[in-house]
Amino acid sequence: MTAAAAAGRFELQQCRKCGAVQYPPREACVRCLAVELEWTLQPAGGRMIAETTLHHSHLPQTQLPIRIGLVQLHSGPVALAYVGKAVPPAPADVRITVKLDEQGYAVLVAQ
Amino acid sequence: MSTTTAVITCPITVPYTRFSDNGAHWFAARALSVMLQAARLEKTAIDGLCFSSFTLAPDTAVGLTQHLGLSLRWLDHIPMGGAAGIVALRRAVRAVEAGDANIVACVGADTNSPDAFETTLGNFSRFTQDAVWPYGAGGPNASFALLTSYYMREYGATREDFGKLCVSQRQNALSFPSALFRKPLTLEQYLSARPIADPLHLFDCVMPCAGAEGFLVMSEQHASDFGLKSARVLSTCERHNAFPDDPIQMRGGWVLDRDELFARAGVTTDRIDLLQTYDDYPVISVLQMEDLGFCGKGEGPLFIREQTFTNDGTFPHNSSGGQLSCGQAGAAGGFLGLTDAVRQLTGTALGQPVAGAKVALVSGFGMINYDRGLCCGATILAGA
Repeated sequence: MTAAAAAGRFELQQCRKCGAVQYPPREACVRCLAVELEWTLQPAGGRMIAETTLHHSHLPQTQLPIRIGLVQLHSGPVALAYVGKAVPPAPADVRITVKLDEQGYAVLVAQ
Repeated sequence: MSTTTAVITCPITVPYTRFSDNGAHWFAARALSVMLQAARLEKTAIDGLCFSSFTLAPDTAVGLTQHLGLSLRWLDHIPMGGAAGIVALRRAVRAVEAGDANIVACVGADTNSPDAFETTLGNFSRFTQDAVWPYGAGGPNASFALLTSYYMREYGATREDFGKLCVSQRQNALSFPSALFRKPLTLEQYLSARPIADPLHLFDCVMPCAGAEGFLVMSEQHASDFGLKSARVLSTCERHNAFPDDPIQMRGGWVLDRDELFARAGVTTDRIDLLQTYDDYPVISVLQMEDLGFCGKGEGPLFIREQTFTNDGTFPHNSSGGQLSCGQAGAAGGFLGLTDAVRQLTGTALGQPVAGAKVALVSGFGMINYDRGLCCGATILAGA
């Protein structure tokens, strides 16, 4: 995911046996337990079903306030994502992009 | 007097502190020591241990046996956070009733050094490392903020509804000696507190601390022989990762187990004199009230407006003040509802008694692995 994110591609784990798409990443398919998983390009659409704005963080380097949301991806899983300013209040349709944050983690951004 | 039916007895609390330089082992030792004193038993009388902690690393319960000089024939380590107390009780009852142990000590103990909470969060689970930590949320505040905002929108709950639970619990805590927060809290103070993660403000959020809770499980006959006051365990349930396909957690595993929980106990919801929910955030108390059948799904706000929740109220709830007033001593938080329920049922309340309390329901909820709590449990207890 990190490598794809560096190239701006939104990839998630997909099971080669049953086709299930999953997030967060796992070592086996959450549906059928197969361990044959691959990273595949995923549609960017989703619906933000809940959101919060953080005014406090346990990480000192976090720039506050910060808006995050729970997004039900069209590909199936639910993911936590940063939420852009232009997104209306939840529930709202969003598009997911992926990027690397300052620590090099792949993070999702809903816009 | 049954020789095989197990009971819960000797509930103890090791007083909480915001931070401590002592290890979890220290709190475990204090818990066992106070418990043995309460039971007037020697350490060698304990032949089973059921232990829970987030901060015992690198040890497990196994290492603890040598650390504290315990020789046991039954040992369990329950990594279930807020559900650990219920599950410990459940396992211990079965161990005693099966004859695998005579006297089981169940202990939840955790320390809290100034950086311990962040360390626990950073190492909490693979999912929190991979999928939560990068967002700077890194803690349960954000998870419960999402649940709370969704619940408010979906079911019309207001901040005043959640505030009523928090204010009532604080009232209960005023007379509870080991609560870290024993200053009165008004609804106005609750509403005007600083925001943490919208819609959560300061008094919606539990405060991590150090401390321990524990109790003994033994046969009814043993408790009687030792002259110990005890409560009967009418039924228990546990459930893990229930409803994984729900996009957001608006119900817990209690929904699947409540009918059997009440049927085995032989009581209905109107017989419950005291409800102890797991309360690191008030929204999860509301979900427990609904999912355990005290009101329907989405009826929580109306239920809160109709009832009063202090120990002298129409629906006594979290008699010690709960974690929101006592603090969250790690895994001990999952034991707090149990220890105080046993005290209330045996006429040994430390704070204001719930008058005539005969039957209590205690519920546990634990382990926000990613976006939801995975472990649910509950028990129905009865006084003699």
